[in-house]
Amino acid sequence: MSTELKKALYNISALADLGQAITSESAFHEKIQAVFYVITGTFLANKGAILAYDTSSKKLETLTKKGFASTDLDPLAPEELLPLGKNEPCLLKDAPFLAVLGAEVLVPLWVRDQFIGALLLGDKVTAGPYTPEDLELLKIIATQIAITLNHHSLFVDLSDKLEENHRLYEEMRRIYHGTIQAFAAAIDAKDAYTQNHSHRVAKYSSAIARELGWNDHDIEGIYVAGYLHDVGKLAISNDLLNKVAPFTPEEIAEIRKHSTLSHNIAAKIKFPWKNVEDMVWHHHERLDGHGYPDSLMREDLSDGVRIITLADSFDAMTSKRPYREKMDVQTALTELRKCLNSQFDNKIMLVLCRVLDKEIKGELPEPEILPNLDKNSDLTIISSLLEGIIAELSAPPSAA
Amino acid sequence: MKQAQFSVASKLVGDAAVIYPKGYLNNLSGESLVKECGIYIRRGITKIVVNFSETDLINSIGISMLLQIMEDLRNIKGTICCTNMSKFLHDTFEMLGLIQHMTVFPAESDAIDYLKVRTT
Repeated sequence: MSTELKKALYNISALADLGQAITSESAFHEKIQAVFYVITGTFLANKGAILAYDTSSKKLETLTKKGFASTDLDPLAPEELLPLGKNEPCLLKDAPFLAVLGAEVLVPLWVRDQFIGALLLGDKVTAGPYTPEDLELLKIIATQIAITLNHHSLFVDLSDKLEENHRLYEEMRRIYHGTIQAFAAAIDAKDAYTQNHSHRVAKYSSAIARELGWNDHDIEGIYVAGYLHDVGKLAISNDLLNKVAPFTPEEIAEIRKHSTLSHNIAAKIKFPWKNVEDMVWHHHERLDGHGYPDSLMREDLSDGVRIITLADSFDAMTSKRPYREKMDVQTALTELRKCLNSQFDNKIMLVLCRVLDKEIKGELPEPEILPNLDKNSDLTIISSLLEGIIAELSAPPSAA
Repeated sequence: MKQAQFSVASKLVGDAAVIYPKGYLNNLSGESLVKECGIYIRRGITKIVVNFSETDLINSIGISMLLQIMEDLRNIKGTICCTNMSKFLHDTFEMLGLIQHMTVFPAESDAIDYLKVRTT
């Protein structure tokens, strides 16, 4: 085989090496380093560098180099390269400024009309000249490197934009939650007895949803519904909300309007979560159809509605109201158990008990219910009660 | 066919370091060959024998690594000897014009004998 043929085969093999280096799954800098080895190994260059053009600083940044000292490449100004041919190798004799750098060949890297960077090579180790065949091959290689650098640059731009979008989304989300919490604070401020009630219902509901295996997006939705479930109370008079004496039938009817009012307010907001309006609207419905405002039956009540209903009642029972003292936790749980099937859902009650039991036993890293309960509660008694309810509700239904 | 991972072993014989690359010298793992030689050069060793008995193939990346070693040695006026080369390796080095820049021996012992009588 002639030397020319052997050299041609070696060059073809080098192009295959280049393709493999460019398409590898390595990190960008490893990829560029492998590409650089292919070039210096193909042309036997004693020096070399790959530089990328930074559009913001308008400077050439050295990605990798060999044989050049750190300041050798500083005199290379992008504007000197712009008049040269795109991806066309330029020899020292045609570009005298290369002598300052100690380079023999320079290739300005372009993709379409965009200047991407430059490739520099020094003399050959064998002291031979760069042949026309070398320059043809170098042009092909330079085009591939330019595309690789451009792809990386586009990828970095896209990643930056994605990160910025994510930051803006998180910022918007914080504002959104802040607004919702401000709403809730306004509701709770109307009624001295229900301070932080919306906050607690939001917490309890999301804790139950998480235990049920809901995804993070849906948990956030029920958290917001918990905050807004009583927003309609803004339209109910303070005197009525804080009334100590028993309500008249007219007053009861007036207070019951709050869930529909909550829905009307929430419906004006385009939530990114599903069913928030439904959860807000129907948090006073019952499984037996005796709830309000629509007397919906069991099959019409979503898990979300059932969760908010239970969380709302549990917090109402364990909080002081104008017309009664607060119940201790075990009494509240006993009352809830009495109302299973008629008012509350067995499955949701079981999950509430499991969450609370886990929180008491320290099995959950961030408890959401326990910190809001009476600090003087006897946790041993509560835990024992919870275990009983869990066992009862977990048991398979007995045959009739 | 899966290529075996490239690796390098070495030993000191008198005042010469003998390097044993093993596997296909074709990717960044070949940098270990340059590093191994660099360790000896930093210790003041100026004579390096590269025994290619377990490296049959080399590509442009591997050639680049070898160039680096040759230049590192040239900078300290050292000597590189290559031994036990396959025909493919020998033909490749010859075609590229590198053979004139290294001393080639059929066997490692020949290179060691040659280096014994060299002062640098």
